[in-house]
Amino acid sequence: MSRAHIGSKIRERRKERGQTQVALAKEIGISASYLNLIEGNKRHIGGHLLQKLAAALDVELESLDGAVERRLAEHLQELTAEPLLHNLEIVPSSAFDLIGRHPKWARALVTTFRALQDQTELAAALADRLNHDPFLSDAVHDMLTNVTAIRSTAEILESIDDLDETQRSRFDRIIGNESRRLADVTTKLATYFDKAGAKTHSLTPSEEVDDLLWERNNYFPRLEAAAQRLLTTWFGDEAPKEMQLAEKLRQRHGIETEDRPERDLTDLVMRNQCYYDQAERRLIFIETVPSPTRRFQMAKLLAAHTLDDEISVELDTGDLLTTEAARHRAARALSSYAAGAMLMPYEPFLQDAIDVRYDIERLAHRYQVSFEQACHRLITLRKPEAAGIPFAFMRADPAGFVTKRFPLPRLPLPRYGNACPIWAVYSAFQTPGSIIRQMAELPNGDRFLFIARAAVKEQAAFSAHRQVVSLMMACDSLHADQTIYAVGLNIAEPSLTTPVGPTCRLCPRETCRYREEDPILATV
Amino acid sequence: MGKRVLIAEDEPHLVESLTFILSREGHEIATALDGEAALQAIWSEPPDLVILDVMLPKINGFEILKKVRADDRLKSLPVIVLTAKGQRQDRETADEIGADLFLAKPFSNKVVIAAVKDLTTG
Repeated sequence: MSRAHIGSKIRERRKERGQTQVALAKEIGISASYLNLIEGNKRHIGGHLLQKLAAALDVELESLDGAVERRLAEHLQELTAEPLLHNLEIVPSSAFDLIGRHPKWARALVTTFRALQDQTELAAALADRLNHDPFLSDAVHDMLTNVTAIRSTAEILESIDDLDETQRSRFDRIIGNESRRLADVTTKLATYFDKAGAKTHSLTPSEEVDDLLWERNNYFPRLEAAAQRLLTTWFGDEAPKEMQLAEKLRQRHGIETEDRPERDLTDLVMRNQCYYDQAERRLIFIETVPSPTRRFQMAKLLAAHTLDDEISVELDTGDLLTTEAARHRAARALSSYAAGAMLMPYEPFLQDAIDVRYDIERLAHRYQVSFEQACHRLITLRKPEAAGIPFAFMRADPAGFVTKRFPLPRLPLPRYGNACPIWAVYSAFQTPGSIIRQMAELPNGDRFLFIARAAVKEQAAFSAHRQVVSLMMACDSLHADQTIYAVGLNIAEPSLTTPVGPTCRLCPRETCRYREEDPILATV
Repeated sequence: MGKRVLIAEDEPHLVESLTFILSREGHEIATALDGEAALQAIWSEPPDLVILDVMLPKINGFEILKKVRADDRLKSLPVIVLTAKGQRQDRETADEIGADLFLAKPFSNKVVIAAVKDLTTG
């Protein structure tokens, strides 16, 4: 991945600060001539030196090393995997040239590609529905059978002259009855298509929300302050208990919470094992829902109702959210963010994270939250003057699909389908409940510590499907030794590092024996 | 010479019209509105021909046909399969398990009369 323009950015930033090359070189312990080479983009730098430069210039590492451009480049490189474009033999690395010269055209291409992906998925889903939907199959069967009965009876009336009056009126009635049944079936079919149309949703809104979180570095100071204010005013800075959260929902917003057996909830679209009935103002939980989920969902609803002004301001900032669906989804994500901030307040959580060396299980236990909620909070610790380790996060289902993602600048996470099959996030499925750690090296030499754990979601009943998900956090190997997960790992030992890729199609390791698909990056 | 025909179809009005037209051709008609009743009727008193809907309640038409073809006594019993789906897959399945004829709804009475005649003579 190119870092060609880092030097120019360093020079620009140094000049902004009115600092000489000599002074900056001295501050970070290198010669002025070497700094000159770096600023002239003639030396490739990274690791500790880049970190020291970022610290000396008082800027985020990500802003210095062109993270935004790289993210755009990653999207463009995904585009080269599109079979329609194979014949053009686009060299993926040339994405940086396009971004450098025509950033708006580059963004237009990515937007168009996303729309194409979106429509392709939608068409596949609709085709699947037409072929396999049991309602449609039954409706078509009923219609054709009705029509057959009508046709057969009409032919009798038309072609047989010696029918007696009783027979004639009997067949007349059959035609009447069958016509009415046919009308009923077609009406149901029309209603079904109306509803089906309303239910289809674009994939793009979720990507717009991803972009919003990315652009804001997943840190929202306004929401942090507002969540802290609620915590102090309502709960005296103590971790709120379930009962207290339920009481606040009732008192402030007239929302009642209740538990019900899962068998009574089969008609509702449950999200995170609960359902919010807006009309009745009731938050309904499956009775077996674990306490961390219950607390989090109550805090989220409390945030959505109490901090709606603050959330709206965040939604109105920037122009990334282009549709109502995207705004709605982003509002939900920001309500979750605020809930996390309330249950795991920034300063103490960061301090505890540092103290326990980012031991996620200990943090989850200390703050009475789930492993996943603790992971989510860790990736929001990006306050410029008090930041934690930058982590990437992903969640995968047993089919391999990535269902949640927050990438790092040099660790792209797949947007569609699966990641590299060797990643720890997949091996974790073999031992649910245990942490799997892996020192992974990408084809460009960047190394990351992967920390993964699969978990079985609480089962509502013996017969219920066991839902398993795998979660993975990843940090640059530079930060690995700050975590408990590096203890006993020889980070520098190459033989203990697993060579991985991003996804098979984007991976140039042609001889990898775990490869499932042909690479499309052979030209790199 | 009339034949004994079993109509296995769950749509009563269609059963009624088919019964009417085939009776007029001199056939003796028995009817079954679900798969269980159809199998019972075939095993207790094998007809000369079966008109068999695919989407029958309880046991579907393909399952019935398989059981019929697995019974030595019924191997050559003529069976006309009716389906509401004109899909190739259904036609292939019907052929594979030994249907004599496949009729996709909506069909004409004339086609049914001719088919019964063809399969029960000579």
